[in-house]
Amino acid sequence: MSLEKQRLWLTFSEQLCQRPIICELARSFDLTFNIRSAQVTQRTGIVAIELQGEREVLKQAIQWLENQGVTVEPVEISTIEG
Amino acid sequence: MQTEFFSHLRCRECGRPYPKEAIHVCEWDFGPLEAVYDYEAIRRQISRKRIESRAPTMWRYREFLPLDGEPSVGTQVGFTPLIRAERLAKALGVREAYVKNDTVNYPTLSFKDRVVAVSLSRAKEMGFTVVACASTGNLANSVAANAASVGLESYVLIPADLETSKVMGSLVYGTRVVAIRGPYDKVNRLCSEIAGKYQWAFVNVNLRPYYAEGSKTMGFEIAEQLGWRLPAHTVIPMASGSLLTKIAKSYQEMIDTDLVEKTPFAIHGAQATGCNPISDAFRKGTELVQPVPKPQTIAKSLAIGTPADGYYAIQTIAKSGGAAEDASDEEILDGIRLLAETTGIFAETAGGVTVACSRKLIDSGKIPKEGSVVLCVTGHGLKTAEVLAGVLGSPRLIDPSLREFDRLVSSDLAKAPIPEETNF
Repeated sequence: MSLEKQRLWLTFSEQLCQRPIICELARSFDLTFNIRSAQVTQRTGIVAIELQGEREVLKQAIQWLENQGVTVEPVEISTIEG
Repeated sequence: MQTEFFSHLRCRECGRPYPKEAIHVCEWDFGPLEAVYDYEAIRRQISRKRIESRAPTMWRYREFLPLDGEPSVGTQVGFTPLIRAERLAKALGVREAYVKNDTVNYPTLSFKDRVVAVSLSRAKEMGFTVVACASTGNLANSVAANAASVGLESYVLIPADLETSKVMGSLVYGTRVVAIRGPYDKVNRLCSEIAGKYQWAFVNVNLRPYYAEGSKTMGFEIAEQLGWRLPAHTVIPMASGSLLTKIAKSYQEMIDTDLVEKTPFAIHGAQATGCNPISDAFRKGTELVQPVPKPQTIAKSLAIGTPADGYYAIQTIAKSGGAAEDASDEEILDGIRLLAETTGIFAETAGGVTVACSRKLIDSGKIPKEGSVVLCVTGHGLKTAEVLAGVLGSPRLIDPSLREFDRLVSSDLAKAPIPEETNF
């Protein structure tokens, strides 16, 4: 099975900012991650991250992040315009 | 190939240079890439007289656009009217108001023809034969029409729940429309994957650095049409926030190349309350935009819950001394009517947002009542006419009788004339 890379923006709400979600992600799924940039304030956190793994694992990982309340967007953020 | 004016792409975050290819984010920090020009060379080359001698299209500012050669798509786009709107100004309570009227932009009646003209011209230069976009309306129409006009094959990706009327405006040009089932975020992610997998010119993804630059022409035109001066206040609708940042960039470029005097220009942003991530962040005093997961507004063309340029839009507004506002659905409809009844311009919902937010900015003193303001109206009302159903009332019905018509007119005349101070 070939490995795929996905470049994503993760947005954390105020409630999630103190939880080590990326650490939990890496321990729960067979993938590697590479943080490219991050900004965290008291109200929100935004992380640019590259995930690498098998396609199915990536899909499950993204679903898990969303279930935790993280907003997951592709590197383009929004591809659909008016 | 390096041309005289457009030299390369550069990361907006870290400043790393990139070649002029079909790429859009920095490999290091995922920052957006932006076109870089040699302004000193442009300043030597260009003058007001030279621009005025050219055809009345957006291409009269050709030196500021990211192409290597001459434009080949959308050569008739732009140079839409800037009208002095005295009755609108009076209704809004401001000394002077102008409307930049992109409802009559060619060929698809929205400002998107500007960005598509640039991106498809660039796509042809780069040898692409298939162009694509993901859109819920205006962008889809424009890509389909402009691609058809030069024989480019095109794909338009849309969410499956889009109204039929919106789809017709793309299907008619023979484009391949693909409707994707599922919630918005999943559709969005699939579009990103498709753009990554297929070697197409995805105008608002891998060609975004070129595409976005087309918005600047709206700003160039405003300044030229005002008699080569910058407006003190400009109100701009925000979806991704890109148009706002690019109009500000165009004003700055005109200063840097001596086309206009350096005067203060405040840039104001307008959103719908049902999808206001940028205006909300601005009000809270933060540059970090909190996504709106489920936008709920009649202004569909502005309903981007995760605005790609939101951060930069907030910076631009703050730096220029502007402000951001948002408008409810009811205020948007009032804005559409007010614009139509005072200027004869029928705008889509985004135009209603601009008018409604302008009123709020004037009422709150952020735009001074004795000042002057330009309202950017970006798309035609016929595209979103369904929102007015039940709002405008119905025609009065009579039998084919002159007496009945006379009676109706007499009753109209008997009513007091509408006072000019009518509060719309």
